[in-house]
Amino acid sequence: MRKSFLLISLVSLGLLAGCGGGGTPKGVPSGGNGTNVQTIAVDGGPVSNQIYPNGAFTSVTICNPGTTTCQTIDGILVDTGSFGLRILSSAITLTGLQTLTSGSSTLYNCINFADSSFLWGAAEVADVQMANELASSATIQVIFDPTDFTIPANCSNGGIDEDNLQALGANGILGVGPEPVDCGLACDPSGGNQFPPEPFYYLCSSGAGASCQPSFVTLAQQVVNPVVLFPTDNNGVIIQFPSLTGAGATATGSMIFGVGTQSNNKVGSATIFTLDDLDTFSVTYKGVTYNSSNGTPSFIDSGSNALFFPDTTIPTCVDIPDFYCPTSLLSLSATNLGTNNQTGTVNFNIDNADNLFSAGGGADAAFSTLGGPNPGGGFDYGLPFFYGKSVFTTIDGQGVPSGTPAAPWWAY
Amino acid sequence: MTTCKKLNLRRQPAMLVAAGLLVFGLGLPAFAALGGDVSSVHTDQAHMKANLKTTVEKGYTLQEIRTPMGLAVREFVSSDGRVFAVAWRGPSMPPMQQVLGTYFQQYSAAVQAHHAGHVGRAPLNIQLPGLVVQSTGHPRGFFGRAYVPQMLPQGVTADQIR
Repeated sequence: MRKSFLLISLVSLGLLAGCGGGGTPKGVPSGGNGTNVQTIAVDGGPVSNQIYPNGAFTSVTICNPGTTTCQTIDGILVDTGSFGLRILSSAITLTGLQTLTSGSSTLYNCINFADSSFLWGAAEVADVQMANELASSATIQVIFDPTDFTIPANCSNGGIDEDNLQALGANGILGVGPEPVDCGLACDPSGGNQFPPEPFYYLCSSGAGASCQPSFVTLAQQVVNPVVLFPTDNNGVIIQFPSLTGAGATATGSMIFGVGTQSNNKVGSATIFTLDDLDTFSVTYKGVTYNSSNGTPSFIDSGSNALFFPDTTIPTCVDIPDFYCPTSLLSLSATNLGTNNQTGTVNFNIDNADNLFSAGGGADAAFSTLGGPNPGGGFDYGLPFFYGKSVFTTIDGQGVPSGTPAAPWWAY
Repeated sequence: MTTCKKLNLRRQPAMLVAAGLLVFGLGLPAFAALGGDVSSVHTDQAHMKANLKTTVEKGYTLQEIRTPMGLAVREFVSSDGRVFAVAWRGPSMPPMQQVLGTYFQQYSAAVQAHHAGHVGRAPLNIQLPGLVVQSTGHPRGFFGRAYVPQMLPQGVTADQIR
């Protein structure tokens, strides 16, 4: 059976290669200035009358592959903690995206997040444009609930279905984290697994009696971090925000594509922290070390909207226990440690979340001192970590500047 | 162009074989859930050829099941054979119904209530009188634990449940 899948895999790859050789991409705006800089903004997000605290949003242009038939969609959350572009079907007016299929079945993709939310949707192929960069024929997830069958239980997993604007708080999520695809070799038919792991990919039939079966998908056809498909500038991203004291109505920053590929994305004097095999590193705080070896991983993640870390001495808010509500501003310090033994001290402040949220008349969206508990883990450096920094995230398997360790790593 | 993008999984016999075996392909073998009796674990493990490692700790026994994909689920078993805690780490979340057993509905209801009218991404921290579920990490790197505070053996603390 494995041999059969291997054959299929090769056939699929061959077809993709054949498609990719089609000459100059047509989707790139011509006469551009070659910029690799995409504006990102902490602006509360796209839902009216709802503030998404510390959500970094951008716009993404998707096109029917190889054409100039495109749509630009704003309100996309920039997430260095996941992999691949996922857009609500309800936000897409473009028609003609190609759905991946096998016979009469459609390929669906599932992603779970640590907060128990999940996204279900069809695996579709689009050209993805940001700044003047083009990711040709990228598999993306188009989020919508099925009508002919129920979402497989191993995907929903008792969690929250964020299949709508209100629940997601965004029109989509752009996963530009340290991996090239959302599953990897484990989901590839030649990866050595006897069965497709769940919950990643499913082939589902339609109509009466429709059902889903887990499926292998080749690496080339998995939901992809679009950065790796850029012709150059494809080894990572820099997320850059000006410093912010306390709260602000908005914050505007940049997502710079590529690391060490242009004059504006050099590593320079930034400290590099290499990651372990679950894309985490180690943090020591108040004498306790938090890392994956002891079950308390630490990581940097623009998609987390506060600094989450365990500290039972800081009271949580009564109304929103996800956040800390100390009685006065706390000045704290932690030490990061990469698997390359590089260390760095992080000084940070934690303020009372209730006060932060109310201080600007409830209109502020950017909070540099927003923190919250993480009693089941270690340090989750969310968006507040990014204010006043240029944070590099390089992608596993991609080439990096000479003199730097193999990806994946973070640097700042 | 359209044909280029199609997954070429045309070989129906291969797919049918896969479908027939998938009842065993959930990634995690059937095992004792939170609050359940551990006696079935060894039978399941033998049947599934899963990698099961047992270690004896002070006050409890630790049984770790590891799937081929690298998801590790640890069951914490008290001396009377009850699973009082479960911890996991790996590239995916574990199947929570299987992990939580009779606590699954309680967990799911708490999750739905917690998220109501609330946006943003934070670690999960469900703390009910008789059930704690905490989850952290990111896609391809999940960590979490679930335990029943009242079932913790004497001398065992939550910090040991990792």
